[in-house]
Amino acid sequence: MGMDKLLVIGAALFCCGLYTILTRRNAVAVLMGVELILNAANVNFVAFSHYVSRVIGGQIFAVFVIVLAAAEAAVALAIFLRLYATTGTVEVDTADELKG
Amino acid sequence: MNGPADLIFYILAALTVGSAILVAILPNIVYSAIALLFAFAGVAGLYVFLSADFLAATQVLVYVGGILILILFAVFLSHRISDVKLSNPARFHWQAAFICLSLFGVLSYTVVSTSFPVKPGTVYQPSTAEIGELLMTRYLLPFEVASVLLLAALIGAALLSRPEGRKGTSSDMEEPK
Amino acid sequence: MPLGNLASVSRFLPELAVTATILLLVAVHVVGKNRQSSASALLSLAGVGAALLLTALQPSMPAVSLFEGMVALDGFAVFFKALTALATIVVIFMSMDSAELSGKSQAEYYVFLLSVLLGMFLLSSATDLVMLYLSLELVSIPSYLLAGYLKGRKSSNEASMKYVVYGATASGVMIYGFSLLYGLTGTTQIAEIGRALATGKAALPLFLAAVMVAVGFGYKIAAVPFHMWSPDVYEGAPTPVTAFLSVGPKAAGFAVLVRFFYTVFASPDGAGGPWTLSSPVDWTLLFAVLSAATMTVGNLVAVNQKNVKRLLAYSSIAHAGYMLMGFVLLTPAGIQAILFYLVVYLFMNLGAFYVVILVANGTRSEDISDYAGLGSRAPFAAVSLAIFLFALTGIPPFSGFIGKVYLFAEVINRGVYWLAVVAALNSVVSLYYYARIVKVMFLEEPAEKAELAVPAFPRALLCLLAVPTLLLGVYWEPVIRVAANSVRLLAF
Repeated sequence: MGMDKLLVIGAALFCCGLYTILTRRNAVAVLMGVELILNAANVNFVAFSHYVSRVIGGQIFAVFVIVLAAAEAAVALAIFLRLYATTGTVEVDTADELKG
Repeated sequence: MNGPADLIFYILAALTVGSAILVAILPNIVYSAIALLFAFAGVAGLYVFLSADFLAATQVLVYVGGILILILFAVFLSHRISDVKLSNPARFHWQAAFICLSLFGVLSYTVVSTSFPVKPGTVYQPSTAEIGELLMTRYLLPFEVASVLLLAALIGAALLSRPEGRKGTSSDMEEPK
Repeated sequence: MPLGNLASVSRFLPELAVTATILLLVAVHVVGKNRQSSASALLSLAGVGAALLLTALQPSMPAVSLFEGMVALDGFAVFFKALTALATIVVIFMSMDSAELSGKSQAEYYVFLLSVLLGMFLLSSATDLVMLYLSLELVSIPSYLLAGYLKGRKSSNEASMKYVVYGATASGVMIYGFSLLYGLTGTTQIAEIGRALATGKAALPLFLAAVMVAVGFGYKIAAVPFHMWSPDVYEGAPTPVTAFLSVGPKAAGFAVLVRFFYTVFASPDGAGGPWTLSSPVDWTLLFAVLSAATMTVGNLVAVNQKNVKRLLAYSSIAHAGYMLMGFVLLTPAGIQAILFYLVVYLFMNLGAFYVVILVANGTRSEDISDYAGLGSRAPFAAVSLAIFLFALTGIPPFSGFIGKVYLFAEVINRGVYWLAVVAALNSVVSLYYYARIVKVMFLEEPAEKAELAVPAFPRALLCLLAVPTLLLGVYWEPVIRVAANSVRLLAF
């Protein structure tokens, strides 16, 4: 195994997440990309916590990231559904009430 | 560690990264969500290899059992059920692919070439007790602040999802000129 | 030596006051039947007022580290707590007067507002990556909800959606940067990270981490190129929320930006600076370029705006650019200039938004063309708005001028001439669009001649915002002294 491989996995997750965010127009799909990025950070944290740190601060950090991801997802999805109720779309750039 | 453990590790790694790539490229958003499930599960498996037993369980419970279900609900609620094709339109393929591939190159080169201060000898031991103790001692303040945040998020999600009351809706609908 | 959890509680009273108010609001009003009553506004006023008082009484000398090193209690943190609490009090008054929010359920609104305030308190004092991330999210998540508070209005929903999409992405990228810093040093304490990085020379991962963290913080202060969300959010959100977001979280963003970069990527020569770059990455140059880009984009795009809120959004982007100039200098005088500018900016920006609310209450419009003839229809509001706009432009004798003088003086003092030239050119551009509103108000004929009534209470509040805006332009000595005393970052 080794730490390098885990970090490369983290980097791959990060880039997949970024690609999802950049290319998707559906807001729910963009949120999926964000979750991938958060998982990438968590893989890094846990790997560093195992191989580098004396205390398991990285695992604690990962716990908080998971908690906040859940809170953020709940709020974000409620917002998307509210947008769908008023406009009938959840696409990031079809909603164009605001621009200029 | 070698032999079967290594094999399982590579299978998990392939599962995680493969699913993540599918999330990024699959045209149907429901398939993307299912691929995300496997990516989350793969990450949970990786945690086991890093002796993060508590996190592996949390990952399964919160991500797979909670967040993913929420996402699926949102996918289905935000499309008319009669829609045959749940599309997941995408844009800027080539530019984004170029950016992400080069970023992946830079990131992996960085993490492989950097000499992180690795400690000698890694130990495999359960971490749940230690996490619990740290949350009640050193990380007590973040623990308490997280509860305020969750309260606000809960109230907010409930507020937005609550149907409009009978009164007050008319002024609400008014757009500024 | 950081204090333990129990010993820290007695020095944590402002935060406890805010938290207690949040819980009271939830227990009494969110669960109760009278969600529309203004009682929750008064309760929050009392709570934030108490927090402001407790902050003012807080002994910030000597600086201590609280809760096992999670947060710092130093002059810097106390300054930002007082600033954000003051902004929140003004915004509560503005919300009570806003027609957009009347008839809505009030209790939840104030729960979110106070949660953001608690987040800003913690953000300006956090000294641990865990705490920093958590307080950043505590500022962000209720802000998404505030932006979408008018849930039947399309533009408010859209503002909220864009805010959440950009915000979640920025904080995700930032957290990945944090993970790299954690890996390089094995600790989450920013002071320890700073010490560990000062010895190692790993340029590439440090550069990546610095850029990724800059994405997260840059999004909070709406610096170019992470500003795309802000015009849409500012236009779509209810106006009191827009005013709040343009002052409060932006100030807290500057607090965390300074504390984080000055602790992790620089080392102090004493308790109150000056600082020297301790990392192989020259992030000051990076931020100097961002600063120039931020003010230029903000000002150039503001010129063509037709909606007042959108214009003020771009103007607030430009002001973030001016303040970033003080950040890149690594001197106490630079930080002092930022702190002073933030005080001035609080009064002038909140004042401008308050007039926008009062006008929108009467005309139901936020278009600049509908401000025609405001000078005769509502002379009091028009004159106040003119004062705030001239102060934002930064011409003497208004307070914005003094704020800019301190920033420019330190930039020139440190020999960053190109930045000073860019900023000076930008001030000229900004004069054009601020003066355009003044011209429309006083020189153009209104389509409708009826007088716009401004009740007595908003008049009084407008005075309270306009007087400091004028006064700080001629007598700023006490405030600059407070700012100078507040440039004390906890070093441990």
